[in-house]
Formats: sequence, C-alpha cells, structure tokens
Amino acid sequence: MMKELYFALYAIKKNIQSSAELRTSFLMNIIGMAINNTAFIFLWVFFIKSVGVIGGWQPADIIALQGFTAVCFGIIYSVGGGIEKLADYTASGAFDRFMLSPKNLLIRIATSALRVSAIGDVIFGVICLGIYAFIIHASIYQVLLILLAVIISTIVFLAAVIVIYSMSFYFVDASSVTYGLFQLFFTPAMFHGGAFQGIIRFIFTFFIPSLLIGTLPVEIVRDVSLSKLLLASVLAIFWFMISIKIFNRSVKKYESSNFMTFGN
Amino acid sequence: MKEIHKKIRLINKILKTLIKDSFQYPHRLVIDTFTVIARCGVLLVLYWFVFKLNNGIINGTTFVFTAWSIFFYFSFSTLRLHEVSKWMMDDVRTGNIEMLFSKPISYLFYRMWWQIGMGLYSFFIVTILATIVLIFIVGLPQTMMIGIFIPTFVLTFVCAIILTLFLYSIVGLLAFWIEDINPVFWIVDKAVMILGGSYLPIALFPVFMYKIALYSPFGASKFITHTVYDSWQVDWYKLVGIQLLWIILLGLIVYFMFKKAQKKVSVNGG
Repeated sequence: MMKELYFALYAIKKNIQSSAELRTSFLMNIIGMAINNTAFIFLWVFFIKSVGVIGGWQPADIIALQGFTAVCFGIIYSVGGGIEKLADYTASGAFDRFMLSPKNLLIRIATSALRVSAIGDVIFGVICLGIYAFIIHASIYQVLLILLAVIISTIVFLAAVIVIYSMSFYFVDASSVTYGLFQLFFTPAMFHGGAFQGIIRFIFTFFIPSLLIGTLPVEIVRDVSLSKLLLASVLAIFWFMISIKIFNRSVKKYESSNFMTFGN
Repeated sequence: MKEIHKKIRLINKILKTLIKDSFQYPHRLVIDTFTVIARCGVLLVLYWFVFKLNNGIINGTTFVFTAWSIFFYFSFSTLRLHEVSKWMMDDVRTGNIEMLFSKPISYLFYRMWWQIGMGLYSFFIVTILATIVLIFIVGLPQTMMIGIFIPTFVLTFVCAIILTLFLYSIVGLLAFWIEDINPVFWIVDKAVMILGGSYLPIALFPVFMYKIALYSPFGASKFITHTVYDSWQVDWYKLVGIQLLWIILLGLIVYFMFKKAQKKVSVNGG
C-alpha cells in the first residue's frame, strides 16, 4: 500500500513539473480558474438579494458551498486528473498500457494526468472556506468540522467520478456520455442549497450524491449538526465502496483495440 | 454573384455533412439532453419551489416567465457556439491552421458555419422536445402568443448567433498571440452566463446589473431571454439595435484581428 502511495506521489510530482514547464500557461490557468469560479458566488448572492433567504441560506453559506465544491473538485482533478481521460483511453486503446502496469490500476490511471486549472480551484476553495470561517466567526470545533467535511466531500466526489467514468467501458465513444453524467452530478452541487427541498433533496442526496459535496457540508458546519455529519460519512463510505466495485466490474468489459503505444 | 453561389454551396455542404454526422453519432444528443436536464431541468424545479415560497411572484414576475426565459438560455446553449474559440485554439496548436489557410475558402467563414452545423441537430431535437414538455407543464405566457413575438424572436435569435460567434471568435483568435486561451475563454463565458440570464433570470437582476447586461456584448448575445417579458413588446427594437451595434463593432474587431493573425502565423512544417 505504501509503495502505491509513493508511486502516486511521484507521478503527481512529475505531472506538476511537466505542466509547470509552460510557466505562463500554468499560472494563467490557475489564476483564470480562480477568477472564473467567483462567477457562481456573484450569481447566487444576487439570487438571495432578489429572492430573499431560502432554507436559512445566507450569502456566507453560498461562499462556503462554492468553497467545498471547488476544493473537492480541485483536489481530485489535480492529483487524479487522469480519471476524466478514461473514456479517451478506452476508445483509443491506450488503456492497454495501464492494464499491463504492475501498479494499482485505478491509481495508475488517476495519476496519469493533471488538470492544471484544478490547482486554481483548490486555491479558490481554500480562500472561500477561510472567508466563510471568518464571516461566521467559526469556533475551533467548526474549523475541525470544515476539515472533516472537506475530506467527506472529496471522498464522495472521487466515488462519483469513478462511477461516472467507469461508464467508459460500456459505450463505444463514451466521452460525451460521461460528460453528460458528470454534468448531471456536478451542476446541481453548485446550486443554492436551500432551494433543495422534499423529493428533490432526497434524490440529490441518496441517488445522485450532488448535495453531499457542497450543501450537506455547509449545513454540517453552519448548524454544527452531528446527525448530518454521520449521514454524510456513512454515505461517503457507501459510495466509495460501491464505486470501487463498479470500477472493477466495468474493467472486465474492456476489449483491447490493438492500439500499440508506449510511454505516455 | 458567382462568389455568393459558391458560399451558399459551401454552407450547404458543411451543414449537410455535419447533420449526417450527427445522425451517425446519436450519443451526442444524449450529452445535450443530459446537460439541459442537469442545468435547466433541475434549475426550473428549484425556481418552482422558490416562487411557491414567495406566493408566486418575485420582483413582479411569475414562474412561467422565468421558466421560459431560463429555457431559452439553455436551449440556445445547445448550439455550443462558444466552442468556436476552442476549435480555433486547436487549429493553431496542432498546426491544422496551415492546411485550412491553404484552402480557397475563408477560414473564419468555414469555422463559424462549421460551429453552427455541429450543434444544429441537437439544438432542434432538444428544443422541440423541451418546448413540448414545458408547454404541458408550465404553459405559455401571454407575451409569447401575440403576433410580434415570433418575428422579433427570430430576428434577435439570428443576431444572437452572429454576436456569439464574433465574441468567441475574438477569444479564439487570441490563440495566435497567447499559448493558452482557456483562462480568457472562462472569463468571457462566465460573463455571458451571468449577464445572459442563465441561473438568475434577467427579471431578477438588480438595476445596475440589468444595465450592464443591456449594454454589454455579453448580455446582448443572449437577448433571446428578454423576449418572454412584457417589456419586450416595447423595447425590442432598442435591444435588437444594441445587438446590431455590437455585431458591427465586434465584426470589425474580428476582421482586423484576423488580418493581423494571418501575418502572425508561422508554419513550421513537419
């Protein structure tokens, strides 16, 4: 296990070094993404100003929501950006080289690429969560809850992308299918959490875990809710285990297209 | 005259080829359907709940107007015209630009029509299906049933297509000068998203934001979202006028940037 982790860290380091070679592009991507993300904060803050407070959600909660979603998105796509390329790997036959690798398949795929802009997401997310903690005058307990909630939302996000990109093994040209599924999962996660009520909240918590990566973490920290923390933790573990099972089962569907390739 | 015939033949060929291509890859329709459901569908359910909480009226508007306004935004998005800038960046990065420049057709003309053709099939299918669903679920507002609606809608729709293509072509042409246009693309795209009335319909905009949306090219490229409101019957000529002004201005920028870009391009062979 430790060997796998060392390998993952080594691959991530090499990915960053390789991307940083194009210094201007690297920095522009990071800064550009951080600016880009502020758009959603503006949108939902204006929404609250026009519509009023819904479900107890204040503008500060919107900042936290964008913080949580950006951090989990950023962490997974910066350290494991290869997972989103799974559809391309399977379609082109490039997946063969991962199958032949003696390393853990999932780790090998995930660490095969890096999305530079995701580093901008992490920076943006951390700043948002810092601002949120400052606005609500967070206690030590709430700061710990923020850290715990980040871990939970990252696990759920990872599980969701594993499930989504595992669909690459079932379709001939799966990139558009996985993109569509990802949109279905991720877009509602960035919506105003207070507006999710009743059946919609149930669906996006238990069937499509969108609310587990943003809305629920915000409510856990804001309300210091242990019951929600417990629910999110249990669901995170559940989704993670399910995702690994689905991935392993899906890999068996892979048929090599005899595309010979070496190196990257 | 001969030139015009040639251009029409080229447009015809591009559109025909891409529509046939869309038939061959039906999964592209799946992606657009999923995207509209994920963004527009979920959003409409949320707004329905929000309007219910506010006794059916927010800022003097009702859910029916909001629903159609948001729907027009997302329906227009299925044309995926914004991708023209990414195609341009790819052309420059891969060197494909060399091949396209050497052809006896205008590169910009070809790229823009190609982009229209790419999304046309999905746009029609998704829009028709979603329109039927929306009519059944929320109904049609009175403003969409008066005689002036359809001609002015078509007019602003055509202007929106041209304006969007010009706006994103400017971003795409930057690829001749900077190695990665993505950060610029994100910022422009988000400006269009906010000021176009996507997640927050224009009826709910604060006054200063409404003014920015009205007089900036970002908001003007999505004026179709204004067509459902009462004010459209009075203001439509003003809004179309703003669109035309931006089309002329951005068209000139595209023209001069392209002239410069043609001189800037260096072919390295290979």
